Amino acid sequence: MEIVNVQNLSKVYGKGENQVRALTNASFSMEKGEFAAVVGESGSGKSTLLNCIGGLDVPTEGKVFLNQEDIFSLSEKKRTIFRRKNIGFIFQAFHLVEELSVEQNIIFPLLLDYQKPDMEKVDELLNVLGLYERRKHLPCQLSGGQQQRVAIGRALITQPILILADEPTGNLDSANSRDVMELLMKASRQYQQTILMITHNRNLTTDVDRVLRVTDGHLMDMGGKRA
Amino acid sequence: MRSYLDLIPISYKVHKKQSLMTRFCIILAVFLITAIFGMADMEIRSQNVQAKWNYGEWHAALKGMDDEQAEMISMWPEVFASTRYDTLNYRLGLDYKVEGKKAVIAGLDESALDIFPSMKIMEGGFPSAPGEVLVDDNMRKQLTLSIGDKITLKTPENTEKIYSISGITENFPLLMKRDVYGLMMNMDDFRQLSLKNAEDNYDSILYIRFLPWCNIQKTISKIQNQFQLPDDKITRNEILLATMAQSRDSTIIYFYTAAGVLAVLVSIAGSLMITGSLNSNIAQRTEFFGMLRCLGATKKQVTRFVRKEALSWCKSAVPIGLIAGTVVVWILCAALKVLSPRYFVGMPDFGISIIGIICGAVIGVLTVILAALAPARRAAKVSPLTAVSGNADSQVIIRKAANTRFFKIDTALGVHHAMGRRKNFILMSGSFAFSIILFLAFTTMVDFMNHAITPLRPYNPDISLVSENNTLSIDNELVKKLTGIPDIKRVYGRMFAYDIPAQTAKGEMTVNLISYEELQFGWAEDSLIEGSLKEAVNGNGVLTVYNQSNPIKPGEKITADFGNGVRKITVSGVLSDCPFNVEEGEGILICSEALFRSMTGEKDYTIIDLQLKKNADDGISDEIRALAGKNVQLSDMRMDNAQARGASLAFALFVYGFLAVIAMIAVFNIINSIAMSVYARMKQYGAMTAIGMDSMQLLKMIAAEAITYGVSGIISGCILGLPVNRFLYQYLVTQRWGEQWYIPLSSLGIIILIVVFAVLLAIIKPAEEIRNMSVADIISWQ
Repeated sequence: MEIVNVQNLSKVYGKGENQVRALTNASFSMEKGEFAAVVGESGSGKSTLLNCIGGLDVPTEGKVFLNQEDIFSLSEKKRTIFRRKNIGFIFQAFHLVEELSVEQNIIFPLLLDYQKPDMEKVDELLNVLGLYERRKHLPCQLSGGQQQRVAIGRALITQPILILADEPTGNLDSANSRDVMELLMKASRQYQQTILMITHNRNLTTDVDRVLRVTDGHLMDMGGKRA
Repeated sequence: MRSYLDLIPISYKVHKKQSLMTRFCIILAVFLITAIFGMADMEIRSQNVQAKWNYGEWHAALKGMDDEQAEMISMWPEVFASTRYDTLNYRLGLDYKVEGKKAVIAGLDESALDIFPSMKIMEGGFPSAPGEVLVDDNMRKQLTLSIGDKITLKTPENTEKIYSISGITENFPLLMKRDVYGLMMNMDDFRQLSLKNAEDNYDSILYIRFLPWCNIQKTISKIQNQFQLPDDKITRNEILLATMAQSRDSTIIYFYTAAGVLAVLVSIAGSLMITGSLNSNIAQRTEFFGMLRCLGATKKQVTRFVRKEALSWCKSAVPIGLIAGTVVVWILCAALKVLSPRYFVGMPDFGISIIGIICGAVIGVLTVILAALAPARRAAKVSPLTAVSGNADSQVIIRKAANTRFFKIDTALGVHHAMGRRKNFILMSGSFAFSIILFLAFTTMVDFMNHAITPLRPYNPDISLVSENNTLSIDNELVKKLTGIPDIKRVYGRMFAYDIPAQTAKGEMTVNLISYEELQFGWAEDSLIEGSLKEAVNGNGVLTVYNQSNPIKPGEKITADFGNGVRKITVSGVLSDCPFNVEEGEGILICSEALFRSMTGEKDYTIIDLQLKKNADDGISDEIRALAGKNVQLSDMRMDNAQARGASLAFALFVYGFLAVIAMIAVFNIINSIAMSVYARMKQYGAMTAIGMDSMQLLKMIAAEAITYGVSGIISGCILGLPVNRFLYQYLVTQRWGEQWYIPLSSLGIIILIVVFAVLLAIIKPAEEIRNMSVADIISWQ
C-alpha cells in the first residue's frame, strides 16, 4: 500500500540574484512499513525534502500525497491537524518540551488533539522505550539518548502513517545511536511503521530498506533491500 | 575578523529582531527615567520662576533691622542683594490719594530691582533725587503721565506732597485688582512722608537675596545669632528655598521625602524593565556564551565580550532614550510658554535637564551591564556537550512539570512558561507591577494639585465693576452698553441686598439676597446638591447655599421684607458652594433678577463682572472705565488670573505629563517584554507546531503566558502600589490638609485597563507573525 507519493517536488528560496534552488523535481514513493534513508552532503537539500514532505515548508512546485491525501491542498489549519494525527517527527536536537515530563512529552500530540490518552498503551510504549521508571522525569533530568527515545515515543504515540526523522542520532554517541536505530527498526518491522530518515552516517543505512541520495537538490533512488 | 569581539556586530545581524527589541527596551527605560527626572527638574524650575514672580527672589526677610544693621548685612559675602522695604496704606484704610484715587506708597532701595523680578522699570530709572517716585504703567495711562511730570499726593492730614516721576514700572496684579495707584520712592522720602525716623523702623522689612550656591539656612542662622534676632522676626521664602533644595520647612521636607520615594520608584522601574527583558532570552544567550567557553574563551574574555555587547546596545539606545526624554521635556516647556507666555518667560526654550540626563544614562548603562553579565556567569557552568547540543536551556532548572490535569495543554504550557522560571517570573511580573505602582504613586500628585492649586472657575471675571460701598448704584443700562463692546465676551451683573432679617421655620436669621442672571444660574448647576434650579430661574423660588449650622431644605418658606413689603418665598434648591464668602450662620438667598427687583424695588447693580475675549486689547479697561464713570471701582483681575492660570496649568501639565509617560511606557514595556519572551521561545514553538500545535493553540499558549504575567503584575502592583499611594498621600495631602486617604479606585481602574489593553495588544502581534511563517522558518529562527 502506497503511503508516500512525492511528485516533481521543487523548492526555491529567495528571489533574483539571491535565488537558491534547494530541491529540483524530486519524485519517489514509499510503501507501508518501508524504512528509507536519505543521504547527502550538508546543504544538498535533504532537510528541505523532509520539511516539504512533512508539510513544515511549502514547496515551490510539485505535490506530496500522504495516504492518498494531497497535503498542500489542505488549509493551513487542516494541514496542521493532519500532521498531528498522521506524521511523527524526530529531530536531531530532540525538541522536547522542557516544561513537560517524559510521559507528558510522549502523549503531547494527543493532548494537542484534546484526547484522553490510553494509559495502558502509554505504559507499554514507555516499557518498550525503557523509560517507564523515568516517566515523571523532566527532559533536563535525562541523558541525550534518553531524550531521543522520548522523542521516538512522541512520534509513535499517534501510530502515524509516516515518521520523519531528521538525523535522529546526530547528537548521540555510538551506543545511544545504536539504541535509537534498534528502536526505529523495531517500529518498522514490528508495527509496520513507515519511516523516512535523514542521516549522515553511512553505517546506519546498512539495515534500511532503501536509500535515497540528494545531490545539489536532485534526488536519486539508490535502491536497497526491497528495491 | 581581527578579534573575537568582532563577533558582536555579526551577532547583531543574525539576531537582528532580538537586538532591536533589547535596544527598544533600553530606550524605553532610559526614556522613562530621563523624561520623569527631566520633567521633575523642569517643574522645579517652573515653580522657581513662579515663586520669584509671585513673591520675589528674596530668601529671608528680617523685621526690625536699623539702617546700620541693614548696611552690615549687605556687606556679608553670602549676600547678593538686600533692600529695605516698607509700605504705607497697604490695607487702604488711610486717605492717601492721587487725583481722587486711593494710593499705596512703598519705600525701598534701588537693589529691590534685583530682588523683585516683577518690579520691572519700563522707562526712566529708580528715584535718585529727593522728591522722585516710580509709578506703574496703569497709573501713567490713566493720568496720561510721562517721566518728569509732577503728581500731587494728598495725605489723610489734608496736606499735599508733590513728587516728580523718575520712572514707570510694569503693572502690579494687586494694584490692578484693587483699582488703586502705587507710588514707589526711596527710603528717605518714604520716612519723611510716613513721619518715621531711621530708628522707628519696627514695621520695615529687610529683604535679603543670597548667592545661589551658599548654604542659606546656615547663613540665616549666623545672621540671627549675630543680631540676636528672635524667630518671629525672620521669615523665609519657603517655596523659593524649596525649589533650591534649601528649605527646612516641615511641609517641604515631607515633599522632599515624597519626591525621593518617587525618584527611587522610577529608578527601580527602569532597572526592572531592562533586567526583565534581557532575562527573557537568557537561555539563548547562555547557549551562545557556553559555546564560546567550549571553544576556549576564558571567563574574562566572555565577560569582556558581554560588557562590550552591552555597551554596543547602550551606544545607540541610551542616546535615543535621552533624546526622546529631553524632547518630551521640551514639548512640555513649549506648552507652558505657549499657554502662559508672560508667566513662564524665564523658562528656557530648549531646557536641558542635566539631572535627568545623568540619571537616565547612569541607571541605563549600569543596569544593562549588570543584567547582561548574568548569562555570562551562567555560561561558565555549561558543559561542552550542552553548549553544542543547543540545549543550554535545560541548564535553567525547571522544578515541576506543567499541570496538564487541570488545564488544557496550550494553557498549561503558557502558564508554565510564565511561572516555570522563578527569576524570570519575578522580573516580568515585577516590571508590569511597577507600571501600576508608579502610576498609583504619581496619582497622589493629582490629589496634591487639587488641594494646593485653585484653578480658575468658569465664572471668574477678568474685570469687575464694583459700586461704591457695595450699594445698588451701577446703572443697569450699563450691561447693555458693555455687551456692545466687541472685545467683551460675557457681561453679568449681580444685585445685593445685605443683612435682611428673615423668618424661617426654625426661627430668625439674617440673609443676603443676591440676583443671578442666566449665565450665573448655568454655572451654579454644577454645585446644585438638592432641589432644582428651574423654579429659581423662572422667578418662582430662591436658591440657598448649604450652611452646616443652619441647613435650609428645598420647600422651606422664608418670610422677609426685602425693601418692597413683606414677602414669603420658597427655597427651591441648595448649592454646595458659591463664588462669595459666606459667614458662619449667615444665609445666602439667590434669586432671578426679576424676583430681586420685585422684592426690593431696586433696579441697578451692585457689581458687574466682565469676561474678555482671548485677544482683547490691553486698553479696553480705559474704555470700560469711561463708560462706567468715576464712581465705579474697576477691579482688573487679568494679571491675577494669568498667574492663577499659569500656576494650575504648569502643575497640571507636569502631573498629567508624568502619568501619560508612565502609561505609555507601561504599554510599550508590556508589548516589548512579551514579544521578547515569545521570540526567545521560537524554536520551541516551531517544534510544537511541527508536532501538530495549530495557530489557535499557539495563540492560547502565548495568551496564557501573557495573561499570567498580567494578572500577577496587576495583583502585586495593587498590593504594593496601594500602600505606596497611601504613604505618599499622607505625606503630600493628609499632613497638610488633614484629608484622609481613600482607595484611588478610578486611578486603579485606569491603570489596570491600560495593563489589560497592553497585554491583549502584546499577544496579537507575535502570534500573528508566527502564524504567517512556515514551520521550518520558525524552527530555524535566529
